[in-house]
This record gives sequence, structure tokens and C-alpha cells, in this order.
Amino acid sequence: MQSDGESMKVNKNCVGCGQCAAFCIVDAIDIKGKAIITCTCTDCRKCIPYCPVKALEA
Amino acid sequence: MKAIIIGSGLGGLLSAAKLSKAGYEVDVFERLPIIGGRFTNIQYKGFELSTGALHMIPHGPTGPLARLLEEVGANVKIIRGKPVTVIRITRKRGDTDYKFGYKDLLFENFKTPFSILNRIKLMYYAISTRKDPPTGKSFEQWCKEHLDQDWTYRISDAFFGWSVSLRGADVPVEEAFAIIENLYRYGGPGVPMGGCKAVTDALVDVIRAHGGNIHTSSEVTGLKTVDSKVTGIIANGFEHNANIVISNIGHPETARMLSETTGINGLKAYLEKVSELKPSAGIKICIQSDKPLIGHGGVLLTPYAKRVNGINEVTNIDPALSPEGKHLTMSHQCVHWSDLDNLEKEIELGLEDIKEIFPEKEYEVLMIQSYSNGWPVNRSSSGADLKGTTPLSNLYVVGDGAKGKGGIEVEGIALGVRETLHNILGKEML
Repeated sequence: MQSDGESMKVNKNCVGCGQCAAFCIVDAIDIKGKAIITCTCTDCRKCIPYCPVKALEA
Repeated sequence: MKAIIIGSGLGGLLSAAKLSKAGYEVDVFERLPIIGGRFTNIQYKGFELSTGALHMIPHGPTGPLARLLEEVGANVKIIRGKPVTVIRITRKRGDTDYKFGYKDLLFENFKTPFSILNRIKLMYYAISTRKDPPTGKSFEQWCKEHLDQDWTYRISDAFFGWSVSLRGADVPVEEAFAIIENLYRYGGPGVPMGGCKAVTDALVDVIRAHGGNIHTSSEVTGLKTVDSKVTGIIANGFEHNANIVISNIGHPETARMLSETTGINGLKAYLEKVSELKPSAGIKICIQSDKPLIGHGGVLLTPYAKRVNGINEVTNIDPALSPEGKHLTMSHQCVHWSDLDNLEKEIELGLEDIKEIFPEKEYEVLMIQSYSNGWPVNRSSSGADLKGTTPLSNLYVVGDGAKGKGGIEVEGIALGVRETLHNILGKEML
């Protein structure tokens, strides 16, 4: 079920706390005011449950 | 007796530790896979960053949080740095930023930049405001009327920005004086060895040692009520009964679960009051360097920066918070509600500040973390906190949305927990 990282989305709930970036296993998330999913993302979805504001959607 | 705690942040864990020690059967439900809310560590590039707090306890080893930790038997070592707090001022009087150099001033000497007249006034106010505390205005307004000088606003914005992520204009004068009083009573900040996670881990140990359970990845979606009492919660679709429920997810989220309940006295007024609460916002910039940028484990207040209020370098106290030979420095800046739509610009200003504060030093930005709205600095801005009670007699709220008076950040959480637990346990708590 891995793709090229085009399906992970960050919704408007995101505050930019960076929690997802710390749990991303491929270092694919940049943080600046909010999370930015970069092209390194493999859509593994491991970050989703760590978001405290439910801002990550696949 | 059974107690259910919603949320495993610091307030929830403190309550759970105290209750499990008092003989309650305790279950903590945590929505996330990790325990500790905004008071634990996250590992990033070998550094121990944090989910929220800056690995600091505002009143160090002698404050309300340290006392509560000791009471429940949580084994945490809190070290107060020396110097405790330093203020970075401009090299020359009249300069308005650090471009032409700086001088560092011990916090104890914060009066030095005041005019002679204002220094005399300060001595008078130190006594008169204790006898007759001012009320009904913002701290900034009080300053305007009593100590009108550029330095007054700079030092109060830096201090309150660092400690409660608010500008002087947004701190009620009553709360400001209560905070200052506590600063004299309890002393300055300290670093928990191991960072925030050492505190929450120690509490988890206490809870488990007394038979309590913590359920991670377990979201509480509803409350069960009968008449004016809560009888349990619904988590992951299952019902769990309890004699008391303590919510550590703030008043608004707690109220949301009650919004469709009917027949509860005072619920409408509660929902209205809750809707007025404003969380405080802030930005934390995490920096790594080979050589120390500050060189001590205290706080560096930066009243001449554009946005950054203060900075700490906790690795001067606990080197294990970074990889060997590296330092971890963290800045905090308050974000005013009107600037929340321009977070990127606020971040840029913060980054420019750091360049000016540490000229010619080599460092690298590790991560920039911002906090607002649903995951804020404080769920209720200091001075506007509601009490820990709700219209349901056995439903309580703890955490940074129900801080005790004059309690900075986690100290406020500890004071709020103490009051709530006193309500529940009565005199045995004291």
C-alpha cells in the first residue's frame, strides 16, 4: 500500500507543533507554522495517530 | 472508589498519582499513543526535544509542582541553574536592539535600568501593592499609570511572554502580582534531569505501583450522566463506570461532551463561560550547537528582541538531553492572537532575533514548533482560568485550562490539581 507520498494531507487543524515530524520514520515532514509533507513521504501513515489535533489525513 | 482520568498530560497524571495513592482504583484514558501530553520528550535527530514545555519547571525544586511530586513519591531530580535568570540588555542606554552590542544583567538587578524616580517608586509599590493589591485592569495599564518608562514595558513583556506567553497588556494585574509574589515565595526555575519526560515517567511509575492503569490510543468520546452526576465515560466505543471523572482536556472539550445533555443546573451558564476562554499561543525554536550559546542552565530574558521573550540551554544542566558534545537551546516567543494568521512571519522575526542575540555564534535550527488553538501553550490564558469544578458535582477539570492563581504554567497546573484533589479527598490531602 505504499505510494509516492501524494495522498498524505495536512488539514486546517494543524498548529505546527512538530509532533508528527518526530515520529516520521523517513524524515519526510518539515515544520514551519504548520506541517509540510515533503516528497520523501512514503504514505506509511505512521504519523497519523501521533497528531494531537487530528490534522493528518491519508 | 473508582476514578477515571481523561488525558495523560501532567494534570491528569498528577491527579491519577494522588488518587491511586489514596486508594482509588484509577484508569487514565489517553487519546494518543504516547503518555505525557505537552509535558514529555520527543526524540529528534538524537536530541530530546519536547512536546511542549521547555524542559523547565518555573519554580524549580522548591515550587508547588516539586512539592506535589514529592508528596506522591515521584522520583525526579530538579536542578536550579546558577545564575537562575539573566536579562540581556543593550550595550548602551537608548539603543533599541542588540545590533550595537549587549550586556547581561542578573535578574536580581532588573531595577538598574529604571530611572532614579521609578526606582524609588518601585520600593514604595513593593510594599503598598502587597497591602492593597491593584485590580480591574491589565498589568500594562497599571504600569502606564505608575512606572511609565520604556524599560517597564520591555521587561514585563519579556517576563510574561516567557513565563505565561502573554503580553503585559493581556495579563490581568491581579494575576501579574500573584505571579510576582510567587516568584519571591518559591524562587526561580529549574530543569528536571531527563527533561519533561522524567517527570511524567515518574508519575506513571507511581500510578502503576498503586495498581492504576493508563490506556493509550484510547479516545474518550462521551460522558455518561444521570441527573447532575457523571457515571462514566465512553472510550473507543466501550462504556466504563466511575465514581468520579477528572478531565485533563480543558473546559471547552469537556463542555463539548456535555452540550447535548439536558436537565443539569447551571450547564448553560457554564457553556457560555467556557466559550469565552482564550488559549495562549507561542513559538519555540529548538537550536543545536557544538559550543554553548548561553553557557549556563538558567533563563536568558531578551527584552530588546523583536519577538523572542527568552531562551534556555538546558544541556548546561543535563547534557544527556543532546548527543555527546552538542547543546540544545530553546527560545520562546509569545504569539498575540492577532498574529496567529501570520505565523510564518512571526517565525521569521524570531529567527532574526536569534541571529542578533547570538552574533557570530555557530548554530543550526533543529525544529520550529508552534502552539495555538487546540494544542496551545495554555488552554486558558493565565488570569482567566476557571476553577476545576463543573456543573456536575463529581466531574472535575485539571490542567492548563484550570490553573491555580499566580501559577506559571506547570506550577499553575500543580496548584489547580491540589485544589481539585482537596475537594475530592478533603482534609487528608493537606
